[in-house]
Amino acid sequence: MTADFRVSLDQFEGPLDLLLFFVRRDELDIHDIPIARIADEYLAAVRAIDALALDLDAAADFLYTAALLLQIKTRMLMPRPETDADGEPVDPRRELVDRLLEYVRYKEAAAELAVRFEARQRLFPRGQAADERERYTEPVETTIRVTLFDLVSALSATLARAAAAEPDRHTVEREAYALDVQRAYVLSRLAAGACSFARLVAGEGRAFVITTFLAVLDLAQRQAVRVVFGTDPDDFALALAEPA
Amino acid sequence: MTPDRSPLERLDFAVEALVFASDAPLRAEDVARAVGEVTGADVAPEGVAASVERLNAEYDGTDRAFRIVAFGGGYRMATVEAAAPFLRVLFAQTDERRLSRSLLETLAVVAYKQPVTKPEVDHVRGVGSDYALRSLLEKDLVALAGRSETVGRPLLYGTTERFLDLFGLGTLDELPRPREIDELLADPRFARERADLLAQLDPPPDAPPEPA
Repeated sequence: MTADFRVSLDQFEGPLDLLLFFVRRDELDIHDIPIARIADEYLAAVRAIDALALDLDAAADFLYTAALLLQIKTRMLMPRPETDADGEPVDPRRELVDRLLEYVRYKEAAAELAVRFEARQRLFPRGQAADERERYTEPVETTIRVTLFDLVSALSATLARAAAAEPDRHTVEREAYALDVQRAYVLSRLAAGACSFARLVAGEGRAFVITTFLAVLDLAQRQAVRVVFGTDPDDFALALAEPA
Repeated sequence: MTPDRSPLERLDFAVEALVFASDAPLRAEDVARAVGEVTGADVAPEGVAASVERLNAEYDGTDRAFRIVAFGGGYRMATVEAAAPFLRVLFAQTDERRLSRSLLETLAVVAYKQPVTKPEVDHVRGVGSDYALRSLLEKDLVALAGRSETVGRPLLYGTTERFLDLFGLGTLDELPRPREIDELLADPRFARERADLLAQLDPPPDAPPEPA
């Protein structure tokens, strides 16, 4: 029956789930699992891991159980049964069976929870819509919600101003501004107090504005400066970040 | 308030008003305190619970579309199941909230074993539960519940009030009792599920693979 049997490991939550599947499929007594047969089937299924793009963690979990099964199989082959401290024979399968049984219970509990979850979704409490909205809105500390787009649109507005200030000349020049220089410039200006971005680059050309903007982004990412949006969508304020 | 209400009727009146006006779960103690402050009567939280029962009986009797529910330890008004089709039309976004099998499994382990450490969850499930736990934390269904006193003092996880709310539970005591193993194995559903699994997993050799 194993020859044309194909298993997709993605469909199982893990090695225990896969083992449980074999137990159920073959109507085995979970307390008396034919370990040799299960180990073979399990290994055959796990070999498919190579072919599957399973992530390493998941593969490791499956392989760990494969090793465990082989170990149990080996111990079952020992001529003399193992005994515990009291001299009682020990079934090498015992631990695995206990784990399987525990897993079955939680799997069942998960199914019951799923039923409850669905039933509960058919009831709509007052205020639920508002509640949901709140939950899926990112908490923002400032009063105005801004996105990267606001930042970029502020840049383009500033660039438009810079373009207006710049006479039309068509010469190709090497980049005159460097990021680390602009970073130092921004920090030195802000050291004298908070400043708006427009004022920071007032009267300068495009290259200066762009390099300075990049420097600001870089500093903001390093959390060296704070970017504050006010009501003017075309500009934003900058201040040195307070030391944490 | 009309003066001819009996004390019980007055309590019911106040409870209904408070629960109606609140769109967040309202704890019985808070209801009791509010009623006590106005009427001067000494109201116990149990009295509030009894009042809620009377109100619900009345809604039942008059076939109202809502009841007072106590999910997550607080009272709220919620529509009844029969009204769901109407509400779905306008509030369909709630359907997006589905939990995957691995999230449900992890949640079940946390719910029944809490407070529980990640290694314990991993052990029960036989797989690493990093992603599932993180995802449950993000959804605010699971929260950190301190540190274990064992070696390494690993973090402990437990369920949240939001978990109780979304699963329609008043308290953790209302979790369905996990069934005993023998009962589970004898369940005819067990055999049916097996058949389903077989049908799913043993496609004829030429059949295209199931979409994930």
